[in-house]
Parts: sequence; C-alpha cells; structure tokens
Amino acid sequence: MIDLFKRLFKVAFAEWKLFYTDPAAVLLLVVAGVLYAFYYPTPYMNQTASKVPVAVVDLDHTVMSRDLTQMSAAAQQIDVRYVFTDIREAEDALAQEKIYGFMVIPKDMEKTLRNGGKANVNVFTHGAYVMLHGNIGTGFATCALTVGATTKVKRIALGKKVPAAKAMAMRDPIPISIQTMYNNTGSYSNYVVPSVLVLILQQTLVIGICILGGARAHRKFRKSNRDSAVENELMPYRYFGRSLAYFLHYCSFILFYHFVVYNVFDFPRRGEILPMIGFAIVFLFSVINFGMVLSQVFLRRETSMQLFLYMSIPILFLSNFSWPSDLIPTWMKGLSCLLPSTFAIPAWLTIEQRGADVYDAAVLLYPLALQAVFYLLLGLVLTNLRDGSKLKTGDM
Amino acid sequence: MLWLVLLILPLGTSVFMMDLFSAEIIQHVPIGIVNQDRSQLADEITMALKADPVLEVALECGDRSECEHAVVRGELQAFLVLPNEMERRALRFETPVIPVYSSGQNYLTNTFAVKEIRSVISSIGSNLFTKQMEEPVQVEIKSVGNNSGNYQGFLGLGLVTAIFHLAGILAAVYLFSFPFRDHRIREFLAAAGGSRVVLGAAMVLPLVVIQWLSMVAVYAYAHRALAPMTFDEFIIVSAGQLAMLLACSGAGAAFVGITGNMRMSSSVAGVIAGPAFAFAGQTFPVMAMPFAVRCFAFLLPLTHILKVQSMMLLGSVGKAHAWESIVVLLFMALFWHLLASKLLFLRWKVAEEKEADWEAREKLHLKDKLKNIAGAVASDLSIRKAVASDKALKGVNHD
Repeated sequence: MIDLFKRLFKVAFAEWKLFYTDPAAVLLLVVAGVLYAFYYPTPYMNQTASKVPVAVVDLDHTVMSRDLTQMSAAAQQIDVRYVFTDIREAEDALAQEKIYGFMVIPKDMEKTLRNGGKANVNVFTHGAYVMLHGNIGTGFATCALTVGATTKVKRIALGKKVPAAKAMAMRDPIPISIQTMYNNTGSYSNYVVPSVLVLILQQTLVIGICILGGARAHRKFRKSNRDSAVENELMPYRYFGRSLAYFLHYCSFILFYHFVVYNVFDFPRRGEILPMIGFAIVFLFSVINFGMVLSQVFLRRETSMQLFLYMSIPILFLSNFSWPSDLIPTWMKGLSCLLPSTFAIPAWLTIEQRGADVYDAAVLLYPLALQAVFYLLLGLVLTNLRDGSKLKTGDM
Repeated sequence: MLWLVLLILPLGTSVFMMDLFSAEIIQHVPIGIVNQDRSQLADEITMALKADPVLEVALECGDRSECEHAVVRGELQAFLVLPNEMERRALRFETPVIPVYSSGQNYLTNTFAVKEIRSVISSIGSNLFTKQMEEPVQVEIKSVGNNSGNYQGFLGLGLVTAIFHLAGILAAVYLFSFPFRDHRIREFLAAAGGSRVVLGAAMVLPLVVIQWLSMVAVYAYAHRALAPMTFDEFIIVSAGQLAMLLACSGAGAAFVGITGNMRMSSSVAGVIAGPAFAFAGQTFPVMAMPFAVRCFAFLLPLTHILKVQSMMLLGSVGKAHAWESIVVLLFMALFWHLLASKLLFLRWKVAEEKEADWEAREKLHLKDKLKNIAGAVASDLSIRKAVASDKALKGVNHD
C-alpha cells in the first residue's frame, strides 16, 4: 500500500514539476489562471453603467416639459447632456455616440394633458447596446410616468371628488416593492465574472492537460526524460498520479479565486465549506478526466489551444448563465451535457454567489459526478489504446 | 489543420452561435408565486402572470422559504408574494404592497422578469378603480435598428464578428508560424522565388480573402434577423470587415515575428483576442470602463468594426460616421503589417541560415555515420576473417 502511494506521488510530483518547467505549461497552468482572473474583470471595474449620456428633444417648450427635463437630469441612470429642439440633431448626436439615447417630449404635451387628453412620450435608444437600452428606458420612463401619475391623480381627485391620498391609492391600489436578493447594486461584473472564472479554470486545465499529453507514456516532447521510469510508469499510476497533480494544483486556484480574486473585485462570498469542497472534487475530477480523454486525440501540443480558443464563447453561452437554457435548441442542450461547465457554472453560482447548502447544491453536483465517472472510464481506455499505437507524426 | 483554423471553425462556431439565439427574444423566465390571499384578485394576478409570454410560473410555493430555496438552486429567477388580505385591503384603499423578490444574479433575465411582473400587476391594479380612465402619459421605448430587442440581431451579430476577429489573428498565427515549426522556411522562400515580399503577400492575401468572403456570407445570413441591409450598408460593412481582417492578420503575423514560434504566438493571440468581446463595448459600454481599459479597447480592431456595424442600425445618419472607424482600422492594418514585415523578414533570414546550417551539419553527420558504419563493417569482416582463418588453422593442426 505504501509503495502504491509512493509511486503515485512520485508521478504526481514529476508532473507538477513540469507545470513550472515547461514554458507552454507554465503559461497555461500557472500564468493564465492568475492573469485572466484579473484581466477579464477589468472592463467592469466600475460595476454599473450609470449616468449614461442622453439628450432630450423638447418640442413643447412649456413649464411641464422643462420640469420633465429637469427630473430626467436628476435621474441616477442617465445624464442629460443636451436639450435639442430638432429630432435630427439628436439623431446625429446618437450616430456620433455623443449620446446613447434621447427622449422626445411631444408638441403641446402640457396643453393636451391639461385638457384631459393623452400624450405619447417616445424614448429612443441605440439598438446595438442592449444594456444601455434598459438603463435609458428606465431612467426616462420613470420620469415621464411620474408626470403621468401626477396628472392621473389630479384627474381622479377632481373627477371622483376624493381627497388626494385616496386618489393616489385608486391610481395604484397594489404597488409592488422589488427586493434584489443577490446582486443588489445590479453590478455587471458580479453577473458575468463569476461564471467566466469557472470557464477559465476549465479551459486552462483542459488545454494544459492536452499540451502535456494527458496520461500517455514516452512523451516525444520530453526529450531528456522520455525513457525515465516515472514517465513510463504503469498506466494506472500514470493516469491517477498525473490527475492528482492537476487536482491539487487547481484546488489552489479555487482557493485563490475564493480568497483573493473575490476580495479584490468585491464579489459576494457566500460559499460554505462543505458544498465548496464537494464542488471542487466533482468539478475538478470531471474536467481532469475530460482533459485526459481529449488529450489522447491530438498529435501536436498546440492544436488543443487553437481549437479551444474558438470554443470558449459557445461553451460560455451553453451554460445557462446569460441565455436561458430553455430557449436553447434541443440538440445543443444535448451536446452541452458533455461539457463540465454546463453544470459547473450554475453549481458555482448556486454555492458561491447564492450560498446554497450541500442539499441544494447536490442537484447540480450529481451530473458533474456522473461526467467524472464517464470520462474516467473513457480516459483509461483511450490512454491504453494510445500507449499501444505507434504514431510517428506530431510532437506528443 | 489550416482549413480548420482558417475556415471550418469560424464558420461552424458562428452558425452555432446564431442558432443558439434562434428563440430571438427572452421568454419563459421561470418565476414563483406565494399566494397567501386566495381571493379573486390574487387569482386574476396569477392567471395574468401565467398568460404572459415572457414569464413562466414554474412554481406555486406553499411558503416563502420554498420559493427562496428554488431561487438558490437557480430554478426560479424571481418570485412574488401575494399578501394576506390583499384584495380586502386594496378595496379599502390601504394599498397593500406586493413584494417581488428577484435573484439579481442573472442581470438580463431578472431585468426582463421584474419589468414584466411590474407591468402585469400595474395593469390589473389600474383596472380596479379606474378602468375607464386612460393613462395620461404613454411611454414607448424604441431601440433604434432593433425594435423587437432581437438577440440574434444584437448579440449574435456581435459574437459572429468577435469569432472572425479571433479567427483572423489565429489563422495568421498558424500560417506564419508553421514554416518555423516544421523548419520549411527555405522551401517556402524558394517557392516564392526568393522574395520575402512575395512570400508575405502570398500568405496574407488568400487568408484575408477567404475569411472575408466567409465573414460577409455569415453576416448576411445573421442579418436576416434585423431589417434588410441596403446596398450602401452592405458595402460599408463589408469594407469595414475587410479592414478588420487585414488588421487582424497583420497583428497575428506580428505576434509570430515577436515570439518566433507557434505555441507562444497562439498563446499571445489567445490572451488578446480571446476576451476581446468583453472589451469591445457591445455588452458593457466602453464609456463606463476605466481609462486604461478604454485605451486597450481602442487598440482592438473589434471595437471599431462593432462600431461600424452598430452605426448601420441608425440608417443614413450612421453611414456618414462609419467611415471614420474604417479609416482607423486601415491605419491599424498598415501598422501591424509594417511591423510584421520588419520582424518576419529578420526571422526568415535567420531561420534560412539556420536551416542551411542544419542541412550541412546533417550531411556531415550522415557522412560520419556512413564512415563509422563502413569502419564497423570492415572491422567486423576482418574479425570474421581472422576467426575463420584461425578455425581453419586449428583444423589443420588437429588433422
């Protein structure tokens, strides 16, 4: 038994040493995990896009329209930079990206409202920026609807001959109050970055394993060591020993993300110890075995990098983090079940962002555990086959 | 592998991304209801929420904690509590508040869900006492060029461009670095008639043309989600895409010139172009990024081509300003290609000399090897001869 562990750790240590001595491995397995974790969130350091530059096109020129403009200028989401009198001026400013949206106050708005009529206020936003669309829309709509609400309350009070308080209750008898449970500030980085961190772990680990040839023996690129005893250990020792090296190495990354990256970028850390340990075990075993399977397919070290760079975007969007999985075509949903990230990203968000206990998290951890077992068996078979084949091309 | 990096992967991934957003708009956002009231008004709200296409009442919880756990597990995006005696209190003008709990984690779907819940409840509320009275101010929010908020049009088009941005750099890295990897610089230069300019042009031009044609085709396919493009718009966008691919191929070639090998240049390309979409301003606006990040975003060709594409949504006003971004892209292309030429010409020269040196050494080594083998064979033969003669001598003596 002691001999078994000794041999296993010998392989693991030799592999771990390689992470720091092979330039390609250093870049992927050490530098990329740290660099990306700080590099990717930088665009979102301001967290939200507040005070978006906008304009008001005032075709009314009345006290009410000026009040509405002032109210808009005070809104948190938008910053009224210009007040135009012609819609074409606003369109031109939009095209030059001086502003990202504008509100058109219609001609005779005040007159129409005072005469008991209905006014239409149009808000135009730049179609290419969906996030700004929401912010600008909310900012302007809140102000315009406040004007509408005031007018309506007056009409109810005068029409039904009721006091103002009762008129207000009649206008909105069942108001709603919105409580945000996990991202109170509406931070964009809090929404995107945690999911991307899991993807970074998966992608760097899979490409790293592929670059180092997984569990195969007699690796061509290791010229000085290719015939050494550790390099040509029995297949199970090689497979599990190298997996152990990756597992321990990436456990440190999970801890680093939890304690350092989350702290630096001020993300909420609600993860409890038990579900976090459960996540680390099943996620890393699933990804390591997935990498071990894929590594037997490539003949050259850099091929996996070239392929997986393209895959990152679809893999991220398949994980239900932004686009609801119910809206994804069925065949894609089926395909996504083969990827650890499909289950790992929701599991990580559930545990770390929403503080799930082990029972709530278990639903998402089971599929990952199943994947780990499936890829383990496949990995062992493929490595065995690869060891027996005599391929002469490539550098693996 | 070249065709995979150059054409098959960018095309395949782009079409995949467009299909991923085939539902076009966000619908069926799962929400929960905790109904503590059991009144006609509560039933009316529940029915209206169930009938809403954007929402899907996935869970009717017995109590608040059941819904809370479902939010934690990610099964619900939001839930609302219809409070006890809601109808009675509303009829007594006591304005009972309906708490709506939104997860907030998924910014996009949560925004949609909350907006829809608000609209459903306020329309039912306004029917309670003032059914005949119209809202005095109607607000209509229009997204110029993408009125329905179509995701294939908004996010899909941007992602397709981001994929080709990455492809442009990666394919150039592959193409310019594989002669170094396989030690075939002399062979390539010989095929180009010894001219480095011809070799550079012969590598870049087919790459850019193939990728440009495929990008234009995918873009036109993807654009069907939005209003049809006019001929002018098509010309402007195509010109912008060509300029972007020229800039990307130049950058890829320059990375090879700087690093000198495929593995390192692929890594550099990956680090810069991999997350480029996050920096290019389509999801999170550039103007809200820190200054240093804004400078980096400016250096990415993707930022400028997305600007060109987004200007096309604004019609004729946008077209007038689109050329400015194309000029920036052309300058980028010029800079990267000049840098790449300078660096690669040097590297090719050094590699050519090295390959010649290796070949000479190889020949020398082969000669030595042959000499050694000949010597070994000769000595072996002489030993055998000696042994045979020795045996023969012994045989004679024995007789």
